[in-house]
Amino acid sequence: MTANETTTAKAAAGTAGAGAAGGTRGGTSVSLRSLTRTFGATRALDEMSLDIAPGELVALLGPSGCGKTTALRIVAGFEFADSGEVLIDGRDVSGVPASRRDMGMVFQSYSLFPNMSALDNVAFGLRMRKVGGADRRKRAAELLEMVGLAPQAGQFPHQLSGGQQQRVALARALAVEPRVLLLDEPLSALDAKVRLQLREQIRNLQQRLGTTTLFVTHDQEEALSMADRVGVMRAGKLEQIAQPAELYARPATAFVAEFVGTMNRLPGELGDEGRSITVLGVTVPVQEGGPDSGPVDALVRPENLTVAPADGGNGIVTGLTFLGAVTRVAVRLSGDTEVAVDVSSAAALPMTPGTAVQVNLPPVPVLVAHHED
Amino acid sequence: MADMTDTVTAPGSHTDPGARRFPPLLRPRSNQARALARYAGLVPFVAYVLIFLIVPMVAIIKYAFVDPKTNAFTWSNLDIATHGSYLHGFEQSLILSLIASVIPGVFGLLIAYAIFTARGRGAAWLRQVVITASGVFANFGGVPLAFLFIASFGSSALVTGWLNDIGVNIYGWGFSLYTISGVALVYMYFQIPLMILIMLPALEGLRPAWREAAENLGARSWQYWRYVGGPVLLPSFMSCVMLLFGSALAAYATAEALTAGTIPLTSIQIGSFLNGNVIAGQENVGYALSFGMVVIIAILMTCYVLFQRRSSKWLR
Amino acid sequence: MAAVTTERTPAPAPAPAAARARRRGRAPVWRWVILLIAGLYFLLPLYAALRFAGLKAFGTVFTSPGFVPSLWLSIRLAAVTWLISMVLMIPTTVYVHLRMPGMRRLLESVTILPIVIPPVVLIIGVLQVMPLSLRASVWMLGLEYVILAMPFAYRALDAGLRAIDVKTLTEASNSLGGGMFTTLWRVLLPNLRTAVLSATILIVAMVLGEFTMASLALKETFPVWIVLFDQLNANISVAASIFALVVTWLFLMLITVIATRQSRRTGGAEVTLFTVAPRETIGN
Repeated sequence: MTANETTTAKAAAGTAGAGAAGGTRGGTSVSLRSLTRTFGATRALDEMSLDIAPGELVALLGPSGCGKTTALRIVAGFEFADSGEVLIDGRDVSGVPASRRDMGMVFQSYSLFPNMSALDNVAFGLRMRKVGGADRRKRAAELLEMVGLAPQAGQFPHQLSGGQQQRVALARALAVEPRVLLLDEPLSALDAKVRLQLREQIRNLQQRLGTTTLFVTHDQEEALSMADRVGVMRAGKLEQIAQPAELYARPATAFVAEFVGTMNRLPGELGDEGRSITVLGVTVPVQEGGPDSGPVDALVRPENLTVAPADGGNGIVTGLTFLGAVTRVAVRLSGDTEVAVDVSSAAALPMTPGTAVQVNLPPVPVLVAHHED
Repeated sequence: MADMTDTVTAPGSHTDPGARRFPPLLRPRSNQARALARYAGLVPFVAYVLIFLIVPMVAIIKYAFVDPKTNAFTWSNLDIATHGSYLHGFEQSLILSLIASVIPGVFGLLIAYAIFTARGRGAAWLRQVVITASGVFANFGGVPLAFLFIASFGSSALVTGWLNDIGVNIYGWGFSLYTISGVALVYMYFQIPLMILIMLPALEGLRPAWREAAENLGARSWQYWRYVGGPVLLPSFMSCVMLLFGSALAAYATAEALTAGTIPLTSIQIGSFLNGNVIAGQENVGYALSFGMVVIIAILMTCYVLFQRRSSKWLR
Repeated sequence: MAAVTTERTPAPAPAPAAARARRRGRAPVWRWVILLIAGLYFLLPLYAALRFAGLKAFGTVFTSPGFVPSLWLSIRLAAVTWLISMVLMIPTTVYVHLRMPGMRRLLESVTILPIVIPPVVLIIGVLQVMPLSLRASVWMLGLEYVILAMPFAYRALDAGLRAIDVKTLTEASNSLGGGMFTTLWRVLLPNLRTAVLSATILIVAMVLGEFTMASLALKETFPVWIVLFDQLNANISVAASIFALVVTWLFLMLITVIATRQSRRTGGAEVTLFTVAPRETIGN
């Protein structure tokens, strides 16, 4: 898309749209097809494929080194896949240089140009697209207004706090009305309170503008609370991509189950050719996709177990962690397995360390994984 | 740290081996005293610099205004130092320093940037080689250096011969090692390495995120340099060039070896005062000349500090 | 390197793949041009001098009269300079980093001064104020060399201190019972090994090359000997200077290679003379 086309489109959008949002581009779809990237001996990306629908916010979640940042940077054009392609609206952009991909990117930190004011930073992309001085300053001011930093327009990056800098970075990325918004762990360098505020702001803006967004993070809370869909990655592969609730309730693999939220591991006996498992004295069906023989553990969430004081029960309380509305009770079961059970804090009151308790598993299907000590 | 022990033990009582106590005399009492005590740590350094750097400099300033015969205050030293051949010397020195600071400044920056951004196999090795070479060559000068260039660019030397073979007669164009431009060419041998060494830390401040952000927003290479990279590096570049200017001004051995007095340069003129060939009554003019240099250096250092302050705000 | 997968249809057009490969190099041409020109400029004169001196000269360098005494003097001066520099600069730099970080700028400016103050000027002042006994001794030169070496020593130490978190290490050491001296000796110095090594070699390089002050103070150090001997036998003179140059360079390379290997084992950083670069900025 040439600069002229962009300006015309912008002008059209500007007159058609109302208010600061300025009219959206109509969603853009993004497709990653079998991306592979090797650094020396390590495979950063292993035939990773992903489809992002127009207007969707997809979060890539995973431990460091899983390849999520590499994937993002390949989409942005700062790195190149050894094989595979990136399609934007169905067209392969692998040959397009980063400066012409028409995407907006927010980096982890310190990406604002230090020699320019906040306003000039935001206006930079517009300057590159040859938008005239007055117009671009006006649009930049609108965007700073959108992120709530209008009074800071004349300040320089070193005079702004971390949270403010990232908001300016967001405004800067959105100023050019990009087809795709890319976010590379934008909140990880900020402190907790600011992180929460910014999370909301980013999500609201993204939904208002309807920009297709790819968001990389290692913080599962962030991913689960912001995204339309979350993709969990490990060692260059996408283990599962689903809506947050689905990911949480029905993890496809043991890794996803344990990465997202907390999971207990309870040794059990498989039965019925691997279709059921006996654990904690009850037999429950097994979720599909796990091993069907050999020593196995059942994976159960703390909130899916029940615990109550009972003499002669199957465990002893070893500790309590007060989490607010809920208390996490640590229990050592006969057989030396340790489990954590979440109960309401009121119910947890009588369960002081040393109390004998009974831990029960309700009869719902569980995920099963190979036994680990 | 010191106050904690007050509440735990009574002064003078024997405490357990782990506690540390200041003897009552040395314990800072007030905020002012505490601030003073902090500065105390700098005393050795300050004392050393004072004795071995400041005092000699003060002596120079003093004797610049002293008549060698009567020991009375006089302007005559300074008067002589700012006229005639000495004025000419200052002019030539300044011109030489300008050439021998800006040109190696640009080259040094390019080389530093080239090795800093190199990627791939051998990039680290390249960096090590260039940086260690710079450390060594920055200190190389004087007669050996002069000789190196006489052997290669002299009128009947190696490179001159090669150039003649391909039809380029540099001496026909008026080039000579013994002119200002020739001396500048030789000076670059230690100026460029010096530039590399002092510019590299500034380059580290150039974050890759800026480059990528600019690219992402649609900037091509030259646009990045024009709007972001250039402006951000400019203050550091200027401060480094200031340093190079001072270094060129200060050079003595190389100039002496090359020119042996044929070009008037202030540093050599000062040196000749130490060698004893002075006109009677003008013994202290050497100090006046040195004083002149000190003034120029003071101006230089002020500019340097001002540029540094600007660049450090951005290149954090 | 770019394996184009053909089992899927349609295979990507050759243009994107080629563009991909082309851009990976990121316009390396100018880089090599600059380095080539620089290499020529620095190495040609060395080669020319070598050719003039002839390799034979290298053999006779070591037995020339005055070579050993002057070299020995320079080495002793380097040792004294180094000792005083380290004793003075290490505690000062550590102290400023810890207690007075605001002073760092001032300290840097002060230590930069010797680069711009002409040694000629300095020696003229020194000879005026030094008491006669000190002036006659050769160690006066060592004391002044400390001043000349300050820029390099300070920058190396400062870079080393910036790379380690001095404040945290010191507080950790103090909380475990270590006093200031113990902290310096057992905690900080081992982590500053590289910086100290760099500073050492730079000091040696400086002393072995310093001519101006030594000759004007009438002391026959190695560089002064080289110049004096030049009048007798230019070849040997040149051979001696090139010898000093190459040996110092090799030493510096050796030090940095060892240092990088050591630091890679403990944390993955590339070490250069004045900077300790974290992996993110240099590598990928």
